Amino acid sequence: MRDRLPSMKLSLTMTGLLLVTLLLFCADILFGGTPVEAADVVKALLGAGSPESEIIVMEFRLPRALTALIAGAALSVSGLLMQTLFRNPLAGPDVLGISSGAGLGVALTVLTLSPLFAFSADSPLQGWGMILAAWAGAGMVMVIIMAVSSRMRDIMTVLIVGLMLASAISAVVSLMQYFSNEAMLRTYVIWTMGNLGNISWQQLRALTIAALAGMILAFVMVKPLNAMLMGDTFSRTVGVRMKSTRVLLLAAASILAGSVTAFCGPLAFIGVAVPHVARLLFRTTDHRTLMPGTALCGAAILLASDLISTVPGGGHIIPVNTVTSLIGIPVVLWIILGKNAMGGRR
Amino acid sequence: MRERGVALAETLELTIGYSSRRRCVRVMEHLSVSAGSGELVALIGRNGAGKSTLLRTLVSLQPPIGGTVRLQGRDLHTIGSTMLPRIVSYTSTEPVAERNITVREAVSLGRFPYTNWIGAMTSADREAVDLALEDTGMLELAGRRLDSISDGERQRTLIARSLAQDTELLVMDEPTAFLDLPSRYGIVSLLRKLTREKGKCVLYSTHDLDTALNEADRIWLMHGDGITEGAPEDLILSGTIAHAFESPLLSFSSHEGTFSFVRGKRRGIALGGDAPALSLTEKALGRCGYTVDQKADVKITVKREKEGWCWTIAEGSQTRSYSTLYDLMVHLPEE
Repeated sequence: MRDRLPSMKLSLTMTGLLLVTLLLFCADILFGGTPVEAADVVKALLGAGSPESEIIVMEFRLPRALTALIAGAALSVSGLLMQTLFRNPLAGPDVLGISSGAGLGVALTVLTLSPLFAFSADSPLQGWGMILAAWAGAGMVMVIIMAVSSRMRDIMTVLIVGLMLASAISAVVSLMQYFSNEAMLRTYVIWTMGNLGNISWQQLRALTIAALAGMILAFVMVKPLNAMLMGDTFSRTVGVRMKSTRVLLLAAASILAGSVTAFCGPLAFIGVAVPHVARLLFRTTDHRTLMPGTALCGAAILLASDLISTVPGGGHIIPVNTVTSLIGIPVVLWIILGKNAMGGRR
Repeated sequence: MRERGVALAETLELTIGYSSRRRCVRVMEHLSVSAGSGELVALIGRNGAGKSTLLRTLVSLQPPIGGTVRLQGRDLHTIGSTMLPRIVSYTSTEPVAERNITVREAVSLGRFPYTNWIGAMTSADREAVDLALEDTGMLELAGRRLDSISDGERQRTLIARSLAQDTELLVMDEPTAFLDLPSRYGIVSLLRKLTREKGKCVLYSTHDLDTALNEADRIWLMHGDGITEGAPEDLILSGTIAHAFESPLLSFSSHEGTFSFVRGKRRGIALGGDAPALSLTEKALGRCGYTVDQKADVKITVKREKEGWCWTIAEGSQTRSYSTLYDLMVHLPEE
């Protein structure tokens, strides 16, 4: 009996969160930079709208909302994996330099390779090429961070190494920018601002497949992830194979963060902050609940950020990174300050 | 009486240490000891003797350099990684990574070897967790977070997690470290209860000699020459304990089985009076370099009076009185 009450509360919270996410998804399609009547949006979705509204809805708003949904979920789950893996509440794609790594991969393709091979923006090769480059970049940084954190017990050391890596990478990228032509430079700079809207259906398909693969891999790992909450030694003595588990978790986190970063740019603070929002909402450390909870929270928060970035100006779209930062930074501050306040809260 | 059958855990000519491709560090060689069902076994030894290394070798966290480990009569390396967690559980000194986890969630993770791929709990698993919480007295605190309970309660949680793992052998590295005296006794008496009521074999390492010598059925004593096992009293009688913890500063009393500081050259002092202050006064005098000698010139008498205790020191015809031992000691005659 004792277990029934929390589990009912849990499914209620999960259902509520699902509804909120769906609502935000619909709202994200209904509202955008150019005002379109709600009725026209529905007609366009059904394929019976005016050509103009159909282009706005089908080519811009729907892919944009889908991207927000997938990117939010993927980045947040990636953050959750990394926080448990590194035993660090501040771990996340952007904090540990994973996004920078992905950025390096993208910079390499956009700034150096594509002028050489003259990729067109829409060629499927560029879609997968960018994803692969981002994975490789993210994975490389992850491996370095992992190697450092296995030698250094101190969390702060790992964070500092992450920051240094990010700086080093941005220096390399600056160098590439210096030697690249104006058009490529512009493409790259706009990419760094974080953009959910610049994605074609072709790219969206690649993103969806990659994100799904990463999510499935992550979800298969919930049991060892839970054991890791008690520490590495415990995990090993109950039969978790730590080496392969680490490799799989790193792969899942890199795939998730790398794919999103490849197409949407380095979206700030979603990966670090959202898992904490989910922990607060569900009041548990159990990954069986946290994983879907984090995915939904991430989707909802990025959809909301996207809505905020398009609605207020009326015509103007502000970079979504500004919005996610404004939402994410307070959460991160709350984690850092809350750790010290913990003793007082007993 | 406890069952005396096949040893639950035993080592034969075991060599422990660390090996990498480049070199091999042998910490200890020729270790042959055993532990049986229903026994509380305390592993003692000085810092750096290799206690943790031995325990880690027993639970397969590191490979032996040589020799054999047998659990339930089977060679350790023939026991698969899915079977081993059902035979032996291990609690290290490593801090729990996630301090926000609740007691119940932490104990539930002890069911890890039995749950399916996603870790779903069956009603049998839940019962095992409830039972473990009850046996360790943690049922009331099951909903609390690990960072909101005391060190002793956190240790109980880890013991409950080991119990939930439902293994015949429980190995614990220093479960009483950092605990105050009552919590330390609480933990050891809990471990003892598990051996008596649940038939578990509990093997724990400790620096708390007093409790270990009083409560353990068997002692594994690591010393410079290897390891010696036996009932605490056997090891006291054979002088192994005194030898293992030999130090110019300590003397071991085989009579009481306790260590005390070695005092330097002593001066005699006569002492008389009422108990229990008498023996405490003797103790305090010992600390100040005196030993009781009734023929000595200086005599101290302790008496219980209406308002408390009174110490009188008589030196020839001079007498002085003090109402606390502290005052007496400050005014003891100089050389």
